[in-house]
Amino acid sequence: MKRFSEYNPIINFMFYIGAILFGMFFVHPVFLFVSLAFAITFHVTIKGRESFRFITGLIMFACFLAAINPLINSRGEKVLFTYFGGRPYTMEALLYGFAISMMFVAVIIWFSTYNRIMTSDKFLYIFGRIAPSSSTVLTMTLRFVPNYKNKIIQLSNSRSSIGLGISGDKKQKIENALMIISSLITWAFEGGIVTADSMKSRGHGTGERTAFALYSFEAKDKALLILIIVLELITLICGIKGAAETEYTPKLHIQSTNSGYFVVGIIAYTLLLVIPTILNIMEEIRWRVSRSRI
Amino acid sequence: MQKKYVNKKNVITILVIFVLMPITLVASWYFGNRKYYLSSVLIMIYAMIPFFAGFERRKPEARDLVTLAVMSAIAAASRVAFIALPHFKPLVGITMISGMAFGPQAGFLTGAISGLVSNFIFGQGPWTPWQMFAYGMAGFISAWFFRLNIFDLNHKFRTAVISFLVVLGIIGPILDTCAVFTMAGEIDMKIVPAIYMSGIPVNIVHGTATALTLFFLGKPMMEKLDRIKIKYGMMETEEKVRVEEKNEVR
Repeated sequence: MKRFSEYNPIINFMFYIGAILFGMFFVHPVFLFVSLAFAITFHVTIKGRESFRFITGLIMFACFLAAINPLINSRGEKVLFTYFGGRPYTMEALLYGFAISMMFVAVIIWFSTYNRIMTSDKFLYIFGRIAPSSSTVLTMTLRFVPNYKNKIIQLSNSRSSIGLGISGDKKQKIENALMIISSLITWAFEGGIVTADSMKSRGHGTGERTAFALYSFEAKDKALLILIIVLELITLICGIKGAAETEYTPKLHIQSTNSGYFVVGIIAYTLLLVIPTILNIMEEIRWRVSRSRI
Repeated sequence: MQKKYVNKKNVITILVIFVLMPITLVASWYFGNRKYYLSSVLIMIYAMIPFFAGFERRKPEARDLVTLAVMSAIAAASRVAFIALPHFKPLVGITMISGMAFGPQAGFLTGAISGLVSNFIFGQGPWTPWQMFAYGMAGFISAWFFRLNIFDLNHKFRTAVISFLVVLGIIGPILDTCAVFTMAGEIDMKIVPAIYMSGIPVNIVHGTATALTLFFLGKPMMEKLDRIKIKYGMMETEEKVRVEEKNEVR
């Protein structure tokens, strides 16, 4: 058993394509609930106690967004109350606000886990073969950014020791900071040219570009990849056939939970989204068990 | 042989514009009227594909790769120098200078890559493609303005004012459109102007930062980059001819 993040990056990426695209697509309350629930459980398995504060904060913000939606959107049939001399505050708009803000929260939580799981090296592993040149630029940029940040701090320190630090009034601050950028550019290009020459003398561009990565693709990965793709296809087909058909305004219409497409769709969707949580929990249990044996 | 290559070149762009985009639009139209959230993000991603595909096709030299990486990294890292001025974002200004120095394609890629990279630090989200596209457009537009002599570094003040207007009128609204599609959910024509209006103060600050960057850094940086281009032959294929033409005119 492996944790979800230890599977091949292609699997992580395929999962997130499904989770995020479907998460942004379905407004049916049951689908929304499933997406939100498993986004939260997965977040908890990654971040532990820390995640409770993050999630309660987000949900409070979402409730606020939901409550103000009827002020923006006044369509709907059931008027709860009127304000400003007759502008209606409708039930349908409030429910729609809830749906949209729950979707918003779920996508934010999925992205929060995405940032933990899909680190930049995994991102490059996936795009390295599709777009080799752009990925090379991206790799180099990712490496240069921290490098240049340190250099900016060095430059800033040495300039402030001769009284030209980033201080004084606004105009001076901006001028001094831009001077630092200017000297950074000179330094960066000198280094960059050495890098480019070195790349060239080692034969860059003479043959097919290969990519090195430490990620293996075992039978386990293959099985999981097939499972994810199948579940995503089932969810997609059911989605196209109207499993999650829902209208909030002007008239409330929610796809009934008896429809065949709904049942199949929600089962596939649930199974898909529960995968990372289950993998992480099983791994945690195995770890606890094997540690208690010692 | 040559001709075949040329045809192959445009396949991806044609596919994206004439197949992928209509499919997405039709799908979002057909499956109800409020899937703009998703389809808008997809359209943004499609819009960037031709630029990256064009770059891949060119089989760029090591020097071109390094130039782009250096410019993108400077644009992304430059914020550190402005810690004392929290709202000052020079990213767009530096992208614009990169566009002027190295041409439209390089300008677009500098903006898009620095947008992507800075989101690896600040967190990815549905806004990433929008930011990449908006910053990329900044580099692309400034490259064309420079070629058309609308941006002229001997007229610092004019260049700064125009760059301010570009941010206020084009780059800022693209970023605000992201908010329209992601925050509002259902597009209500009454609320759209309100979102754009609320973006104006932020865009003014952003535009001022860009204008100041171009005003103070534009000329010295272009001189440095021109020197590097001539001395080391960076980005030669695209821009060398232009540099020579300009020098002859002078």
